[in-house]
Amino acid sequence: MAAIELEGLTKDYGEVLANDDVTFDVERGEIFGYLGPNGAGKTTTIRTLLGLLSPTAGTARVLGQEVTDEGQLLEAKRRLGYLPDSPAFDETATGREVLELHASIKGDERSEELLELFDPPLDREIREYSRGNVQKLGLVATFMHDPDLVILDEPTSGLDPLLQQRFNEFVRAERDDGLTVFFSSHILSEVRKLCDRVGIIRDGRLVTVEPVESLLDRSGKFVRLHAAESIPRQAFELDGVHDLEADAGAGPSGGTEYVFTFTGDVNELLERLREYRLLDLSLEEAPLEEVFMRFYDGEEMDSDADSDGANRVVAGGTGGDDGV
Amino acid sequence: MFELTRYDARNRVRGSLYLSIGLSLLAAMVIWVYPSFKTEVDLDQLIAAYPEPIVQVMGVQTMASLGGFLSFELYTFGWIILLGLYLAYSTAGTIADDVDRGRMDVLLSLPISRRRLLGERFAAMAVPIVGANVLPPVVVYVGAQLIDESLAATDVLAVHLLSIPYLFACAGIGLLASVGFDRAGIAQRVALGVTFALFLSESLLTGTDAEAVGAIAPMRYYDPNAILLEGTYNVADAGILVAMTVALFVVAQLWFTRVDIA
Repeated sequence: MAAIELEGLTKDYGEVLANDDVTFDVERGEIFGYLGPNGAGKTTTIRTLLGLLSPTAGTARVLGQEVTDEGQLLEAKRRLGYLPDSPAFDETATGREVLELHASIKGDERSEELLELFDPPLDREIREYSRGNVQKLGLVATFMHDPDLVILDEPTSGLDPLLQQRFNEFVRAERDDGLTVFFSSHILSEVRKLCDRVGIIRDGRLVTVEPVESLLDRSGKFVRLHAAESIPRQAFELDGVHDLEADAGAGPSGGTEYVFTFTGDVNELLERLREYRLLDLSLEEAPLEEVFMRFYDGEEMDSDADSDGANRVVAGGTGGDDGV
Repeated sequence: MFELTRYDARNRVRGSLYLSIGLSLLAAMVIWVYPSFKTEVDLDQLIAAYPEPIVQVMGVQTMASLGGFLSFELYTFGWIILLGLYLAYSTAGTIADDVDRGRMDVLLSLPISRRRLLGERFAAMAVPIVGANVLPPVVVYVGAQLIDESLAATDVLAVHLLSIPYLFACAGIGLLASVGFDRAGIAQRVALGVTFALFLSESLLTGTDAEAVGAIAPMRYYDPNAILLEGTYNVADAGILVAMTVALFVVAQLWFTRVDIA
């Protein structure tokens, strides 16, 4: 039995179809990233799993329990931790009082250890908390009863880089101890650091579910290179070069700047570029929007011709020799 | 069980104490001015000088005894109107404010059903309701002794005890508004408006053909005049108020278990 099972989950608000026939499973003991731009429907899925929204159609099970049956969902909630996208607590209470209330209802197995790790200012009133401190308190409350499954909506927003790092390490260690993690994000780099598998949602529709490596292979790198002299375009006729653009006379030192997305083997690319004198070269992760666009191109082609979507996505970008 | 009630109740203790002190001051003032009113002013003439609707709305029967004076100046004004509106308003904030400020997501992630959450929150309203009735009866009784007016201790006790189901019914109106609207400000305004409209419908329509409309108003079932002037305690009316509270609570629960949390 999977930790989370969604079957044709649909939430129709009339003017917006927030979730459209979303189906996927989150296996036990994995970190599953739910990735999509803001407004894609991630929070709707998550809040349906928590029973806060009722689905228009379809079903979902959390730890084997139906989310539309309150009695069953209550059973699941005993073994579940949830951190909403902007958690809020009683502003007049101190952090300690909030944790005491939570402990009295769901139990407390490990708050001491978590407080050492995330360290929210316990004796201050929540109204004086910064966004980051609220998030830290939320993380303690989410994990304090040692749940089997945690659902986190944009968990690292508001955390400084050091704490993000600490959070990542913590979540990985918990996963190794058998915890299942389902978390949403709109930041690809965050997902790639943490996840085993990724589901991508856009405009309420699930675009793909796949292991994070294959997603990264397909999403490619964003390459920017600055050459002292112009490079003939056949040099770029290489597998995996997409959306090539050239800008002659770029920068104070002259030369030509080339920008493209690359999904091939970087060794091949560097081999090909060896004979040219470069002033600068950078390889970055492709921005999420580009990755989405790629998936969309792929999907549209998929419906035109009944071919393998994955291959089409990689090869499906605009040809490498445009615009040079 | 009752973890949330305990938590909420603790938060409401201080406010309830202030409420009790404020109402005690009001009671002390009303009793303090009574002797000079009685000697300096012809109270029956004073009543006659008020426009008829005011006399009817405020349920003034007589001011020629301390009981009648208190019934009008303290219980109709302080309990039926002020406390009734306050409890409707305050209860209207319970659920709607949690939803409005995004706290409900965290609360409902706890292993606690929506029914229980609503029940526990509502139960905590007992703190201001009972709290408001702790100090004032002592002040009223002792005050009456100090100005040498006779006032039966059982009447004073009864007028406060019987106000408890009345105030719960007003809180029930607030609770229903609280689940019906997910913006605290709107829920509170609706609760205030409905409670006040019910008060007016009961007091203004008495004696007219539309008197039956006032039957849904909790104010019809709590009558300080009958208690303080005639010494009659209408337990059946208190039963109706309890039934009203239960009905409002059950409807609020059914509603709350079915809505999407915005």
